[in-house]
Amino acid sequence: MDQNRQGARASYIALAIFVALWVLMPSAVRRLNREAFAEFQAPALHLLGKSRDMATFWEKKSRSTEEMAAAGRDLARINAALEIKLNAMDDVRRENIRLREITRYVVPAEYMSVVARVATRDSSSWWQRIVIRKGRNDGIRPGAPVVFGNNVVGRVTAVHLTTSEVDLVTSPGFRCTAYLEGDDQNRIALVNGVASNSLGTAKARVSVIPHDYTPPAGQPARVFTTGMGGVFPSRLLLGYLDGGTYSTQVGNFKESLLIPSRDLYNLQEVSVLVPLHPNPGEALMQGDQFQ
Amino acid sequence: MKDSNEMRVLPSTPVERLRLHIVFAVFFAGFLYIGGGLAYRQLVQSGDLKEQSNSQSQRVVLRPPARGRIYDRNGFALVDSRARWSVKADLAALQKEFRAEYLRLVAAEKAREVGKIDRERLMEVARLRVLQGWLNKVWFVIDETNRNDKLRRPTAKIVPVTAPGERHVSEEDLRKHLLERRALPFTLVSDLAFPGASQAQSPEEGSKSVARFIEQFPVEGPIRLESDNIRTYPFGALASHVLGYVKDTDQLPENVNDISDVRIETLQKLHYTGKTGAAGVELTYNHVLSGFTGWELWTKTSLGYNQTRLKHSEPAQGSHVFLSLDYRIQAATEAALAKIKDSQSKLLPAAAVMLDVHTGEILALASQPTFDPNRLADRVSKAYYMEVEKSGAWLNRATQGLYAPGSTFKVVTAIAGMRKKVVDWDDVLECGAFYRVGNRDFPEHEPVGYGDVNVDKMLAISCNVWNYQVGLRTGIDALSAEARRFGLDRPLLNTVSDVESGGQPMTELPFAASRGLVVPDREYKLRIKAGPWNDGDTANLSIGQGYLLTTPLHMASFAASLARGETRTTPSIIHDVRRDGRHQGAEPIGLSKAQLDAIHGGMVRCVEEGTARIARIPGLPYAGKTGTTEYFQKGEKAHLAWMIGFAPADNPVVAFAVLVEGQLDTSTWGGKTAGPVAKEMLEAWAATAGSKYLVTPKPKDEPGR
Repeated sequence: MDQNRQGARASYIALAIFVALWVLMPSAVRRLNREAFAEFQAPALHLLGKSRDMATFWEKKSRSTEEMAAAGRDLARINAALEIKLNAMDDVRRENIRLREITRYVVPAEYMSVVARVATRDSSSWWQRIVIRKGRNDGIRPGAPVVFGNNVVGRVTAVHLTTSEVDLVTSPGFRCTAYLEGDDQNRIALVNGVASNSLGTAKARVSVIPHDYTPPAGQPARVFTTGMGGVFPSRLLLGYLDGGTYSTQVGNFKESLLIPSRDLYNLQEVSVLVPLHPNPGEALMQGDQFQ
Repeated sequence: MKDSNEMRVLPSTPVERLRLHIVFAVFFAGFLYIGGGLAYRQLVQSGDLKEQSNSQSQRVVLRPPARGRIYDRNGFALVDSRARWSVKADLAALQKEFRAEYLRLVAAEKAREVGKIDRERLMEVARLRVLQGWLNKVWFVIDETNRNDKLRRPTAKIVPVTAPGERHVSEEDLRKHLLERRALPFTLVSDLAFPGASQAQSPEEGSKSVARFIEQFPVEGPIRLESDNIRTYPFGALASHVLGYVKDTDQLPENVNDISDVRIETLQKLHYTGKTGAAGVELTYNHVLSGFTGWELWTKTSLGYNQTRLKHSEPAQGSHVFLSLDYRIQAATEAALAKIKDSQSKLLPAAAVMLDVHTGEILALASQPTFDPNRLADRVSKAYYMEVEKSGAWLNRATQGLYAPGSTFKVVTAIAGMRKKVVDWDDVLECGAFYRVGNRDFPEHEPVGYGDVNVDKMLAISCNVWNYQVGLRTGIDALSAEARRFGLDRPLLNTVSDVESGGQPMTELPFAASRGLVVPDREYKLRIKAGPWNDGDTANLSIGQGYLLTTPLHMASFAASLARGETRTTPSIIHDVRRDGRHQGAEPIGLSKAQLDAIHGGMVRCVEEGTARIARIPGLPYAGKTGTTEYFQKGEKAHLAWMIGFAPADNPVVAFAVLVEGQLDTSTWGGKTAGPVAKEMLEAWAATAGSKYLVTPKPKDEPGR
């Protein structure tokens, strides 16, 4: 009995010493520890993602030949349609280049696209953060926008050697400017992630909507990036206004919820748009000190 | 043994028992006092104490509402509210940083061995340094000039932006904030779209600054982004004298939403900085535009910072106001006035008014020089205030400027003469080069005179001698009575209290027009101790000079009344489709059709071939009368240029008046200077009204109606 009590006491003392050490430890050492833990965790995350890919592969491999043939036929049709679109896009691209040359338009931001598989979702905030299987080694930097096709997924918040953490559009840490479909004056609205409980539906909020804005009838209004903030390219789809808009009665503004353009839960692969030239915000995120 | 112990504890004698009872009684009384006191506090005083506790631990934060919009008659927003994005520092969240910086400073002072350390001052410096550090980061993100080559390298260090003025945290502002609004976040940048208060930038540049902050500045941390409304005037200085501007107010508003939920009088209230009208429509219709103030009930910490929001009520936007102005005509009028410059290309002070003949609704009301209300919507810089002050732009010359109407008054003289039957529409008077009154010759502006002149010709050529004769025959009493009949002595009053008291405003003007109007008569001259009235004074008055003083708005109203054949027009700045065209105090002009036709015809001839021919508009015959008045400015002779009139000539729809103040020379003339402004106003009106009022031009030798 006494031995047990002594053992328990020793555990508490050890815990207290550990906590005290952690608190008193210099922040650089703590940061190193965190980084070390992230790197230690990375192989497990890779393994998890790859095993999921393997499971998907075997699931597809188990399908019948007829089913695969039908899928191949559908794919061929889609490819044909895309081929036509691609040709049309080529014309548009050439015209775009011509007009830019005439107007001497400076291309605002250039990005390097890094395709990455989703390794896992952060268990502490299930709906808000994902971990991708590309990191510093692949040229990813904090603050870079993350997209899937033309849809905004989120933004890189932390970069490790081989993995990166991405705050989703629905994360409370996500913030960007937006244009609303149907607003001819292109006034800026604000998109924020909304903190939700673990079983709730992930959503974001669109605020500072001009009071006289009316969403187009018959369809949910689309919400696009403005491209003015130097982070997101313009005209990427952030999502749709949920159920129109409602007035906050705070002056001329309305608010609405945003339904993300992609099902963030089922994302398997994303693209990270790494700016070729870092913006000032990136330097702030990296914690550079003012001289 | 046991008995002996009991014996020691229990009182055995009556004295001991008495002592014991006394002790019991004292204790009982004590407990009764405490119990009674507690009961009194709990049962009787509980309400008051709770209120007292709330007043010490809770506070109300008032949230000003957005003001309503101001539209022109066609629904264009002349005044709106735009989103203002501001960057604020949460002082409560910065406490640790303040403390750390303070300790660093104290350590540095101790190392220097300076003796006594002023710890309070060091705390102030610590706060300033921390806030300045954050402000540098904000500027680093929003300033596009940071995109230099150094920053394109991923390893680049951040270089702080150093610029004077707005980029530094003001020590005085911080001290004042801590004293008065400690619970609220401290404003680092008040308007992200225009981060430098004195530096203007395009809306697109402004939006970029906002977007850069939103997307690049870390979301977490003590720096917050807040948005509220700020008054914006999309057309800049357009109609600024009508619209007015807003100013900050610290007065607690009366129109607070659902305030019965909170016993506001017992709670600490944060200083309220809302907006209130300071001039023009913003002032007069402040009660309509201001909406309902919202509030938040917060608990506060022992340090005075907000802790938890208990209740709240959202503010509600004010109602909108629809003006009778047509911004297209207003813009054309102001553009025309802006072309009038002196020999040194300096803008001449001027005013112009156009109103609807039937309803009295003002379509354009411009005064030059003007000011940009956008630059008065937030903090007014001293430099801009002085600039406006120096230019004399605060004065609304259309309603508050007092001027002798000059020859435009000859129409009144003609009406007075015909009503008194001293002259008729077809009477011809001999008009030489001058007219002798007493021992003085009153000159004609044509050196050889005009010969035979009737009413029609008099108005076309603006003959002085005709008016001297008719004025003297009519007499001062009838002449001044006629001017008063047209309301030239009546201030177009519309005070704020008139509107706020719920009464129907007399004129629906957003401003009190000048009260210094003068229609002189015998009593007036005696009152100002200028001696008895004489014929020379009457001659002067008959051509609109001397003591007579009026405003351009009065003259425009007079022109509208004349066009309808009535005596009064009630001008209004509020658009109301139900307006019935009745005007307070209006009565028929009292002339026969032939007499009225002669006056209208003379005014048409004035435009077609007379003194206003420079302002002739092919296809749009209209009636006009010019006037040039001499006045002395700083001891030197100068001219005032006038033109009044109405259009179209045979079916009047709009009336107007234009005034230009000449500058120390005599190159300013009614037709030459004011005429082109009238022409551009009418062309703008005709463009808005379509072609329905235009007619095929008549041959030039055929006089108008």
